[in-house]
Amino acid sequence: MSIMEYNGGAVVTMIGKNCVAIASDLRFGVQSATISTNNPKVFKINDRCFLGLSGLATDIETLYEKLVFRVNLYKLREERDISPRVFSNMVASTLYEKRFGPYFTEPVICGLEEVDGVLKPYISATDLIGAPVYTDDFLMTGPCNPALYGMCETMWRPNLEPDALFETVSQCLLSSLDRDAISGWGAMVYLITPENVTVKKLQGRQD
Amino acid sequence: MMISPSHAPKAAGPMQARDFDMYSNNGGTTLAVAGSDFCVLGADTRMSDGGYGINTRNYTKLCKLTDKCVLATSGMQADTLALQKNLRSMLQMYEHNNGKPMSTPAIAQWLSNTLYFKRFFPYYTFNVLGGVDDAGVGCCWSYDAVGSHERCKYSSSGTGQQLIQPLLDNQVGHKNQIRAIEVDLTADEAEDLIKDALTSAGERDIYTGDYADIARVDKNGVHLSKFELKFD
Repeated sequence: MSIMEYNGGAVVTMIGKNCVAIASDLRFGVQSATISTNNPKVFKINDRCFLGLSGLATDIETLYEKLVFRVNLYKLREERDISPRVFSNMVASTLYEKRFGPYFTEPVICGLEEVDGVLKPYISATDLIGAPVYTDDFLMTGPCNPALYGMCETMWRPNLEPDALFETVSQCLLSSLDRDAISGWGAMVYLITPENVTVKKLQGRQD
Repeated sequence: MMISPSHAPKAAGPMQARDFDMYSNNGGTTLAVAGSDFCVLGADTRMSDGGYGINTRNYTKLCKLTDKCVLATSGMQADTLALQKNLRSMLQMYEHNNGKPMSTPAIAQWLSNTLYFKRFFPYYTFNVLGGVDDAGVGCCWSYDAVGSHERCKYSSSGTGQQLIQPLLDNQVGHKNQIRAIEVDLTADEAEDLIKDALTSAGERDIYTGDYADIARVDKNGVHLSKFELKFD
């Protein structure tokens, strides 16, 4: 039993046409016991930047608070919101600081970043010691990975409109959660567009 | 004369072979989708050496047992060969003794018994049996290594199983789709889905790729076709 699978949890993020979606399951458990069914793993950093964390629950909490602390300092010094790309770098270096005694979490970052005056979707992920990955399709983290890879690889295609992206992310996540015993109990999906951010709670299999 | 320690005679003891792993996984992915009057099976053709090497790109995992039944097996191909030899000889004997080929449900039960017979030194095989029964209705069975089996509408096994199974749940089982009109897939739709599934598995699973065999079983018999996957 791996330490990364102690609490369970799954997070997935996908890029669409001028939008991104990030979603997580809601279970908080201790191995086979489910303690809470209201534990989303996606956190808002600012209107244009979201963070998803899976892995050991205590490290999720600690890492999130550490990052918020650093983001607040950034905002005070720079007098502007942090962009997803810079935040991603901050996450990677924060994790590498603990290279030989890491936080057992694998983050996923998503958002919209301004490139030459245009807002473009951005996603990235790192492993538990901060090795970053940048792609233009989808990323996921958690013990649900194989299932999510199969679903996303088949269902995703480029330039999905926000409604279609929402449906795709939801179906990919719900079907994958059903094949993982330590993730599930519903899902929370955030859809980020230049105009607004919508949050929807999905009722999946409640087991 | 002093005998230095390195030349001192060693105590006699039993000869010991270094531990030999009796099993290896040659990798690969198989899946089947059963419909109202057909069953489509798919399997990639890559055979790995258990690590990062490829033994061959073109080794079929499908085995046509009768005109109405095809067996797809992933796992250790050496055990697969032994199992298939066993099955083929039994099928011939059955046909001679009973004057007709063995029906698919009967083969399914027999396969389970054969696998459990070696419960304490199992065949390292992950089987999916697909075909049509005597009434022409499509059927598919999935197995574990020691013969636990279940008849189902769709099934996958092998290294790509974890990737593909949720896709089949969603697209064939219509799970998590509350307002979807639940229509059974046609044979062509099933075949397209299987091709998509194997392509996706080939992208993310290192043991799946090269080529894929597709077998379509219906009342007219077994029709085999091949399509290409990525070589990387």
